[in-house]
Amino acid sequence: MSDINTPTVAKTFLTGIWKENPVLALVLGTCPTLAVTGDVASAITMGLSATFVLVCSNFVISLMRNLLKPHLRILMFTLTIATFVTIADLLLKAYLPEMSTKLGPYIPLIIVNCIIICRAEACASKNGPFISIVDGIGMGLGFTLTLSVLATIREVLSYGTILGKSVMPDGFITLFAFALPVGAFVTLGLMLGLVKIINEKLAK
Amino acid sequence: MLFIRESWLLIVASLCFGILLAGVNYALKPKIDANASSKQNEALKELLINAQSFEAVVKDQTVENIGAPVTVYKGVNNGQCEGWVFGATGPGYADRIDLLIAVDAKFEKIIGYNVLFSNETVGFGDKIKNSFFKDQFVGAPAAKLELFKMGDDKVINAEIIAISGATVSSNAAVEIFNQYLPNIKALLIQKGMIQ
Repeated sequence: MSDINTPTVAKTFLTGIWKENPVLALVLGTCPTLAVTGDVASAITMGLSATFVLVCSNFVISLMRNLLKPHLRILMFTLTIATFVTIADLLLKAYLPEMSTKLGPYIPLIIVNCIIICRAEACASKNGPFISIVDGIGMGLGFTLTLSVLATIREVLSYGTILGKSVMPDGFITLFAFALPVGAFVTLGLMLGLVKIINEKLAK
Repeated sequence: MLFIRESWLLIVASLCFGILLAGVNYALKPKIDANASSKQNEALKELLINAQSFEAVVKDQTVENIGAPVTVYKGVNNGQCEGWVFGATGPGYADRIDLLIAVDAKFEKIIGYNVLFSNETVGFGDKIKNSFFKDQFVGAPAAKLELFKMGDDKVINAEIIAISGATVSSNAAVEIFNQYLPNIKALLIQKGMIQ
């Protein structure tokens, strides 16, 4: 895990973006990663919603970290996360109703997203509020960026568009399979392989 | 006392989170309700473009042979009935399909439909939202419809041509029409709204 014995702001933030990227390094949150990356707008909304929940739950859990008893730890994490997921869901229904309908159950399902509970356990329950918030932002943005890259590849290949706007030349042959689950698995697999190759080269 | 000592944080946190959620819900509920109402009005006006206003003549009523409660809107323009619009729901391929169906004032012809909710397969079943399938219903008789895999989809009659590769979703849409049309018509005749 991260060097949380001596966490610094920059290190904590960057850890979530690359070294411990929740999707590409920790392979967490795979369900929404595969399910909502058919288009870039959905991926960004899901990523930012998860970031909101991560930051808020990390902050609240870090405040109560010294009061947490071992037998209530997971229960308190779940209660806190569920509260902020419900708030995110209500905000989307109020201000982005079309997107809320489109994402359907995947926003409420953030409650059981491993990334959030993993950061509550690994960071927020052991660090102060400031570092916990930075960790939440880093991890959330790492998740959002990964989803966005995956969604961009899939949307371009399946529709020739980004955010619904055509970006490919006339005559571009779309591969509709990339809009389907098979496209999500193939693209994520290739991204995981690429990240592993890059990390191995960086380690040498 | 042991119970309180061991679980006071959980009790206090539950209370605080409950109050927070109640506050957020109280603040956002008017906006969420307004969105739902606006979406419904837009959907109604999209189907009955000549109607100036809509009146719910049947509201959440249980109708024989229809599982879900039914709401029927009467579209009015200068006191004249422009048509009837009602919500209809039925099982699709992956999830339920919710439609908004419009028929003319005499309940003889279908004016059209909109998909309010569906979770059909992207690129296949979700084509029930596309005009080439929906247009087959515009002007079709408000009576029993039949689904065919082959045929001319430009001919408007009771024969609906299925979407290639999505027969289940096409059939689901037709079945919803066949379930609701006769029952809603019978309900409106019973209430003396049509003859």
